Amino acid sequence: MSRKLDYPSAEDKALVDASQKGDMQAFEELVARHRDKIYARAFSMMRNEEEAMDLSQEAWVKAWQRLKQFQGEASFVTWMTRIVINLCLDQLRKQKRFRAESVEQLDEESGGVERQMPVVVPNPTERLERIELRQRIDRALGQLSHEHRTALILHEFEDLEYKEIAKRMGCSIGTVMSRLFYARRKMASLLAGLKREELR
Amino acid sequence: MNHETELKLQAYLDGELSESEATAIREMLARDPQARSVTDALEATRTILLANEPELKVPETREFYWSKIRRQIELGEEQGAVANAGQAAPAWWLRFLAPAGLLAVLIVLIALSLRAREGASPIWAMDDGHEIETPLEETSSFSFRSEAAAMTVVWVDSHRE
Repeated sequence: MSRKLDYPSAEDKALVDASQKGDMQAFEELVARHRDKIYARAFSMMRNEEEAMDLSQEAWVKAWQRLKQFQGEASFVTWMTRIVINLCLDQLRKQKRFRAESVEQLDEESGGVERQMPVVVPNPTERLERIELRQRIDRALGQLSHEHRTALILHEFEDLEYKEIAKRMGCSIGTVMSRLFYARRKMASLLAGLKREELR
Repeated sequence: MNHETELKLQAYLDGELSESEATAIREMLARDPQARSVTDALEATRTILLANEPELKVPETREFYWSKIRRQIELGEEQGAVANAGQAAPAWWLRFLAPAGLLAVLIVLIALSLRAREGASPIWAMDDGHEIETPLEETSSFSFRSEAAAMTVVWVDSHRE
């Protein structure tokens, strides 16, 4: 005799198993658990609340439709995050927010200034509370171009290799390396600037 | 320091270099303070980002957020059911049409055969100028004529009415 699943206390795996058998209540519990993370990832890429909301919900719908394909190689939340990232990338491409630029253009448009600056090692944790620091990092991310931000998010937060990022972004590995480098340098200078403001 | 070297230093930090390339970078870091400065800056940025990924909460209640997802799921399933029904229809028609087509062919053949026996006098041409002629039904007879053999044979069916 099968026991009834206690949704709030059940592990993700049990909820996924039940969802794969058509249990929508189990799926709702998964949504409730991970919706903030999925929404946050969508927002970090799109920088727009409405788009992030729509895309995160679309990701959950797609996940339900493809649940049978989930074999558990990665965690459920990792699988979900990949779905929402792909939707965001598709949306950015549709809106042509990804530009096809050369490395030289990247130099001129976003990396050139930082490359002339002395290397800045950000150390804002000394004075900033963690929540405030996160908010400031978020604002700094918002100042990057879509290309730089996406490369940074996929590498730092999603732990993807250069090759995988290049595949997803539809560019060369060299371009990924360049975007990542400029994104990091720009973040360093933005966070260092924030620290200087804080010291005033 | 050129850009290519900067990217190599970054790739070293990200664990993207082969062992021999990584060894070369380690040697460079040991002797080049500028290279160390670049890697320190990149690593510090990475550390801060990893430890402080921005967190956000969905600006809607759990119920409202879920209700929209559920509606979309149900809508998708309804559309899927309609699409499946649409796909099933041709299969049903094909299953019906195959025997119906065969039946139609049989009916046509039988009708032609009956017509041939009842009314018309079809003529089937044979090689070498031979012909079999089936005259009117009332006579109930067949005739065979051969030009080559210069002969004609008439066969009368006395049992027909």
